Amino acid sequence: MKTKIFLFLLILNSCNTAFAQEQKMTDAEITSFKQDVNVVAKKIKTLSTDFVQYKHLDFLSKDIETSGKMIFKEPDLLQWQYKKPYNYSIVFKNGKILINDEGKKSAVDIGNSKIFARINKLIVGSVSGNMFDDKEFTISYFKVKGQNLAKFIPKDATLKKYIKQIELTFDKEEATVVQVKLLESSEDYTRIVLKNKVINAKIDDSVFSN
Amino acid sequence: MQKSTIQFFLINCFLVLILSSCGSVTKDYTPKKLDKTSYQAPYFSDSKTDYVYKANITVYGNEISGIFIAKKINDTTHRVVFTTEFGNKLMDFEISETTFKVNSIVSELDRKILVNTLKEDFRLILKKDYLFQSAYENDSFNIYRSKDGKRDNYIFISKKDQKLEKLIRASQTKEKITVLFNSENNIFAERIQIIHQNIKLKIELNYFKAE
Repeated sequence: MKTKIFLFLLILNSCNTAFAQEQKMTDAEITSFKQDVNVVAKKIKTLSTDFVQYKHLDFLSKDIETSGKMIFKEPDLLQWQYKKPYNYSIVFKNGKILINDEGKKSAVDIGNSKIFARINKLIVGSVSGNMFDDKEFTISYFKVKGQNLAKFIPKDATLKKYIKQIELTFDKEEATVVQVKLLESSEDYTRIVLKNKVINAKIDDSVFSN
Repeated sequence: MQKSTIQFFLINCFLVLILSSCGSVTKDYTPKKLDKTSYQAPYFSDSKTDYVYKANITVYGNEISGIFIAKKINDTTHRVVFTTEFGNKLMDFEISETTFKVNSIVSELDRKILVNTLKEDFRLILKKDYLFQSAYENDSFNIYRSKDGKRDNYIFISKKDQKLEKLIRASQTKEKITVLFNSENNIFAERIQIIHQNIKLKIELNYFKAE
């Protein structure tokens, strides 16, 4: 009986590694990967993408799904717009957060809120991929079947309270982000899948008026 | 002499004002015979359902929005989580009628008065089993009084289709919290409003539409 359990666990374990197949990058691979991403990120003047957000909470029977569109324009205009199952749009603009919640509008001045400024930088960094800041994060690099994976652990204590780890998955060919995973704890995370990405289309500033 | 008469008059005026505002909660309803002694509220009772709502909280003119999630995790206890739209967890509680555990809360919201208020609110909307002590009615509702510690809960069941549409939590003399439920099927509530009478706090929950 014990051997059976042992065998079962062994098989389970090997299945696990077969599924995940997270392989650490070599130093040379890291250098070339970072270079590829930075070349693409530097070219990004505007970016718009559809997204699906899956909120995973360990005690729920299924993930909470919301979806919408994200638009970014250099240097720091950002709109994150949920369309399903509700209309909620948040714009980061000139040190302000503008919120439109089903037509109800409000504004928050974030000039003095460091944490929001940081979140802004984080979102833009996550989506563009340009986040390789060793001062802010402890970063590790992996290869996963046709994709690259970078894991960022915040160094700042305040940020760490909110986010334990950020995982960015990159398309290997295009060197752009296809998935953002924000881990709050080992059990609970938010996974955002980006699709239909359009880079450097003309986007008018008025889009970010909310 | 005259001065003390005026004082006496003023004190009396105040007394009249205070007493008249102290009317019983049930003064507008007609007492009736108690036709049932217990009741089970349906809206958060299924352990298989993830109850997910868009939440809008108005507190002293400030707006906070996010996602309200409740799940029955065993016979007595619900897990209640409030997150931002981005999914960041702001608070995470485990609530039963007698126990309360804070799994996590962001420091900005970690205020005793807020946590206690939310604890009382969430307990009220999650409460399933009621024992009734007396009954009343008006044109639209059968109204039942259920004692809950020092407070009374009034359960409003619509005469038309037997739905739980309103809860009032009150002291001997005053309404404290009003909860309004909108439910199509009497299984879950699409819309819930929690309105406080003594503080400027309103919580509105709208059920995530099925895709």
